[in-house]
Amino acid sequence: MTASLIDGKAISAKLTAEVAKDAAKLKASGWEPHLVSISVGDQAASALYVRNQRRVAEECNVLFEERNYPDGTSAEELIGVLQGLNADPRVNGIIIQRPLPAHIPVKTLQKAVHPLKDVEGMHPASIGNIVYNDLALGPCTAVASVELLKSLPLEIEGLNVCVIGHSEIVGKPIAFLMMGLGATVTVCHHMTRQVAVHSRAADAVFVAVGKPGLVTGEMLKPGAAVIDIGINRVNTADGRKTVGDVDMESAMDVAGWLTPVPGGVGPVTVAQLMRNAVLATRMQQEHYAAAFSAVQEQGVGT
Amino acid sequence: MTATIIDGKAFAATVREKVATHVTRLKEEHGITPGLAVVLVGEDPASQVYVRSKGKQTVEAGMKSVEHKLDADTSEADLLALIDELNNDSTIHGILVQLPLPGHLNEDLVINSIAPEKDVDGFHISNVGLLGTGQKSMVPCTPLGCLMMLRDQHGSLSGLDAVVVGRSNIVGKPMAQLLLGDSCTVTIAHSRTKDLPEVVKRADIVVAAVGRPEMVPGDWIKPGATVIDVGINRIDAPEKGEGKTRLVGDCHFESCASVAGAITPVPGGVGPMTIACLLANTVTAACRIHGLAEPEGLTA
Repeated sequence: MTASLIDGKAISAKLTAEVAKDAAKLKASGWEPHLVSISVGDQAASALYVRNQRRVAEECNVLFEERNYPDGTSAEELIGVLQGLNADPRVNGIIIQRPLPAHIPVKTLQKAVHPLKDVEGMHPASIGNIVYNDLALGPCTAVASVELLKSLPLEIEGLNVCVIGHSEIVGKPIAFLMMGLGATVTVCHHMTRQVAVHSRAADAVFVAVGKPGLVTGEMLKPGAAVIDIGINRVNTADGRKTVGDVDMESAMDVAGWLTPVPGGVGPVTVAQLMRNAVLATRMQQEHYAAAFSAVQEQGVGT
Repeated sequence: MTATIIDGKAFAATVREKVATHVTRLKEEHGITPGLAVVLVGEDPASQVYVRSKGKQTVEAGMKSVEHKLDADTSEADLLALIDELNNDSTIHGILVQLPLPGHLNEDLVINSIAPEKDVDGFHISNVGLLGTGQKSMVPCTPLGCLMMLRDQHGSLSGLDAVVVGRSNIVGKPMAQLLLGDSCTVTIAHSRTKDLPEVVKRADIVVAAVGRPEMVPGDWIKPGATVIDVGINRIDAPEKGEGKTRLVGDCHFESCASVAGAITPVPGGVGPMTIACLLANTVTAACRIHGLAEPEGLTA
């Protein structure tokens, strides 16, 4: 059997078209979704991502503003910037580009973003909502990975799912999203004794570790769906290449479906970021409308 | 093989002793008396019993205990104002709003208005998210108690296969997070799980938190596994006389005990740990609020 490849680009294009329509509607009502991207210090490492985000934002009718701060900016100054953006009604979403300089604690910044503007889904309250099954603003990579699985003709309820890698921004949120959808989830990680025992029992495997060739065909149940979240740069005979965590050659013979790297989870992740931007804008619109009507009822300002 | 019966009452007493020791140390070295405020709205008889018991144990551990009893028709605004006052009261380190609340009050709104660092129940959405991302948080009491028992039984949990049966917000989900935090390979099983017996049979650690009497029989258990039974179910006990009842867990005790390496009984297993962990959380909150080191043996 040869696995089918899951076309992340096509799924992303469909999602992007939907988001663009929603964003246009918001714009017509005076709420053009507006993202602010914050980079600190050396921009080389994140430049490719930011360029990509800007391109997709433009396709989605989302305003994308880049702000670059010098390497020496302190955490306190950045928190001040975030507080300003939180308070600014013209800004609907904040992206903190990584990597950050070593002296900036990334979690402190993520916590400083207002949950209603947390388009990356990284605020503890956003993660808490995921755990409690309230899928407001979810972490983009995790949500995108789940969207890819949902595009397949599989009944998710009761599906045996193995998540390899328990990172805070990918593995764990995927586990909770899938659990919320009724799957039976097993989370494996570097201390797991026999990953293959768990992965071979799974109808769907998510892998997000960052080790090329980690998941081979013999670790998979025949016909399983494999969502590969790894992004690794490797040297091959044909030069530098980007590969995932799955050994494609052996996995192709066993799996039912596979996401390619590149062209799988990546494009859907950026589209999901824009979907979050639209969602955040809509939530803020509702929030302001509710606050405004409360003020009107009290007769303030009349 | 016959399992070791984990004596929850005795174990909870050791946790309370640890709490009391830390409280003495905090008073002597730092002049801090940890304080717990419990808010009860309405007159639910079961809640009144819990609140009384919590207050008594708080005082016995040397801490300050404050009870606020509000009428059943208390408005949301008044309740939120009280919570705000407690959030700003420097002698209070833990705030617990006894659930369930009367129907006219929004539980989520009320819980999320507690300052997260004083949320000793660990139900504030930020604490849920912090735990979910492996960060320092206030951890719900019942799963924290289970974790303490497991650590006591095994030492290190690293690499063990754990299955949590039940995906509730107050036990199953945080339990899974805590076990992941201790490097177990974790499976969360629930009502939609196919072939539950097979899944449970793989596990070195089984935590059952479903609320279905004696649902897990002994032949689902891997020989030598540790079984933590969180369920408390009341069933008819005609053998004790007409109309009599008894308490059982989610696991069938006799058959599981003949296979498992260790098991918690119901009652007398996990139950007594919950209030002990509430006290532990209050001490943890006091230490964190004052910027002191984490109290050893009381946190996740």
